[in-house]
Amino acid sequence: MEKPQKTQEEQQSSPQMAAPDGGWGWVVVGSLFVSSALVFGLIRSLGVFFVEFVQYFGESAQAVSWITSIGLAMQQLMSPVSAAASNVYGARPVVMMGGFLSGLGFILASQATSLLHLYLTMGLISGLGWALIFTPTVASVMQYFTLRRSLAMGLGFTGVGLASFAFSPLFQYLVEAYAWRGALLVLGGLSFNMIACGALIRPLGKPKVVVKAENSTKLNKCSSLFSRICEGFELALLSHRGFLTYSVAITLFNAGYFIPYVHLVAHSRHIGFNEYQAAFVISVTGVADIVGRVASGWFSDLGRMRMQHMLVVWTGLLGLSLMLIPVAVVYSGLLVVSVVYGFCAGAMTPLAFAVVPEIVGMERMLGALGLLQLIESIGGLLGAPLSGWLKDYTGMYTLSFIAAGSFLVLGMLVTMTLPYFWSCTAPPPPSPPMKKSQDESIEDGLLKQTLSSNSVPEILCPLDDIPYSDKE
Amino acid sequence: MASFRHLILLLLYCDGMKTETTPSPQSDPVITTRKVVSKGQNQVTIEELAILKPQTIELSCYLTDIPNNPPYLTGYWTKDGKGIVNSEETVNRTNEQYILKKTFDILAKDLGNYSCIFKEIQTQVTFVLDVPVIKDKRDKPIVSYTGDSVVLACKLKQTPNTWNWYKANNTEKGLINVTANPLNYKIFIHGNETKLTVLNLTEEDSGKYICSAEFDIKPSESYIELKVLSYIEPLKPFIAIVLEVIVLVTLIFLWEKCNKPQNDNISAGENELCSEQISKLTRDDSNGVENNTARQRKLEH
Repeated sequence: MEKPQKTQEEQQSSPQMAAPDGGWGWVVVGSLFVSSALVFGLIRSLGVFFVEFVQYFGESAQAVSWITSIGLAMQQLMSPVSAAASNVYGARPVVMMGGFLSGLGFILASQATSLLHLYLTMGLISGLGWALIFTPTVASVMQYFTLRRSLAMGLGFTGVGLASFAFSPLFQYLVEAYAWRGALLVLGGLSFNMIACGALIRPLGKPKVVVKAENSTKLNKCSSLFSRICEGFELALLSHRGFLTYSVAITLFNAGYFIPYVHLVAHSRHIGFNEYQAAFVISVTGVADIVGRVASGWFSDLGRMRMQHMLVVWTGLLGLSLMLIPVAVVYSGLLVVSVVYGFCAGAMTPLAFAVVPEIVGMERMLGALGLLQLIESIGGLLGAPLSGWLKDYTGMYTLSFIAAGSFLVLGMLVTMTLPYFWSCTAPPPPSPPMKKSQDESIEDGLLKQTLSSNSVPEILCPLDDIPYSDKE
Repeated sequence: MASFRHLILLLLYCDGMKTETTPSPQSDPVITTRKVVSKGQNQVTIEELAILKPQTIELSCYLTDIPNNPPYLTGYWTKDGKGIVNSEETVNRTNEQYILKKTFDILAKDLGNYSCIFKEIQTQVTFVLDVPVIKDKRDKPIVSYTGDSVVLACKLKQTPNTWNWYKANNTEKGLINVTANPLNYKIFIHGNETKLTVLNLTEEDSGKYICSAEFDIKPSESYIELKVLSYIEPLKPFIAIVLEVIVLVTLIFLWEKCNKPQNDNISAGENELCSEQISKLTRDDSNGVENNTARQRKLEH
């Protein structure tokens, strides 16, 4: 009874597992490029609008800055929902819906008559749209690539850096030509382009939950729906040691990562450099960031070092450079440290995502990404106010940068406790919960998972050759 | 009277630029003094003075560090580049300094650039006497929409007696009267800043708006340009982009349907358009196989 079942499972699951590593995959990378530009590049350039909002609504700058906070919080908190939806419906419809929602949020925002309207439209609706776009697109790129995954991710994320350069003058022009209402309307239209990006993501196979639903017979509809939801959200991951370790590490990374973006300009002005010098430091950091992403992706795909080791190297360097920023009082010194910071920050980003399938396996990568974003948002929520408080308390940015650097070093140390970290070769791919033919309840799933991980054959092959099948 | 005023003048020797007012016991107008210290030769120094009301002002030029320390220098005054008659004076050296002063009665017509010029050493000190200038970057017009409202603001360091707003029609200025048009205008005045809110905008509201800070001597004006657009303006690029998105999405799906039968052997969805006859045969086969396996599994349980 077991064997014929398994061959049929193989037939069902193998189309989902094939990673083309090229061809249409590069189109999906292009889709990630445009999506990350229109999500994070757009968020970074919204400062132009804030000046207008302060003037039009008469509110304080802090009240207006809540718009991005709500938007980012929605994007991260709704990530598990987005991952679950993609597990059920596939990435394509979810991303297209996300593109529609993010555009809709901006179009509605153009009609706002109070700041609350902006919170609801630009914050909640667009934030939800961004969540529905980002996680499935990243997961799709990772499904399409194995050998060149890091490079694909690095290239995809360069969209953020390039967009930050291009969007600031563009938004300034839009606001001057059409006032903020018209500019928001045009931005909504631009965000609709992400619907096209979603359309480009050709599914590689059936979405995971659908596959599981077909493989098993459901005797009880209620529990099947519940288990479908749990499968979609990948809640089983919360007991996976590697996943938990990594989520702690990435929360610490997140706490320190964004602090310099917020404080570097102010710090440069504070120690006495003028506006143009400070802006140049930021530009140089941005360029180093873009170069770092691509270089790190390309280098990690060469396979010389394991991805986890490389991640440790980059985050360690990043933490060190952050702690060195307050030390640099000469302009050239500050430039050098900022270049190193930008390069390491960019280098870390593709690896932070690409290492996830190595820890949890391709099967559960989508859900893992969703949960990770949710958990790491805690780091973001804690890091920025903490650094702001430190600055208010001490009057200088020194402690904020040192705190940011130490968060990153802490995260690096936690990363070193990942399972299989200290082995020189790649670990066996972790096997997901076995597909069962009977009712799937979470307890059974966990039980089977621990059993199956013990019986995985000890073949330490390079990660790329194994087609991620969970057959024993 | 002039000599009496000269008698009661007090001058204090301090570094930097200071203004002292000396009330006279006989309720004569107060005289303000402004001095500028210029070091070395071949210097051009410019000092801006904000004049709020008609007054008598004494401008002093102090020269120090002149090489060769000549026993005397000749200096004269100009207003707006034109020499003032009978203003040429010989200045003797006192304690390594050369002091040239002149008193001016300033009314509205007397505002301008006053310079003391020393020919021999090519040194010049210019006092720019003007009402406070409203410094705001106004090179781009403010844009708003019909039916919306807009806020125009002006700010100064000094507080004027009052603020007035005008709308400029070609060469005329029309005062904006809030009591006459309470539905359309609101003016908010708070010391050194003012805000004009224009409600229920229409296209005729486009144009130049002038905020005028009224001082005793002369009003100080600055203009803001307002452009009122109709909603159609931003709709044009918006609709263009939406159309582009629709075209892109349609193209992407069409291309995928055309290429699908060549790439896909396993049925993963429906196929309607291109090459349907060819694909239908292969699809029916694979569908049949899968339905059989599904039925088989169900039977086994």
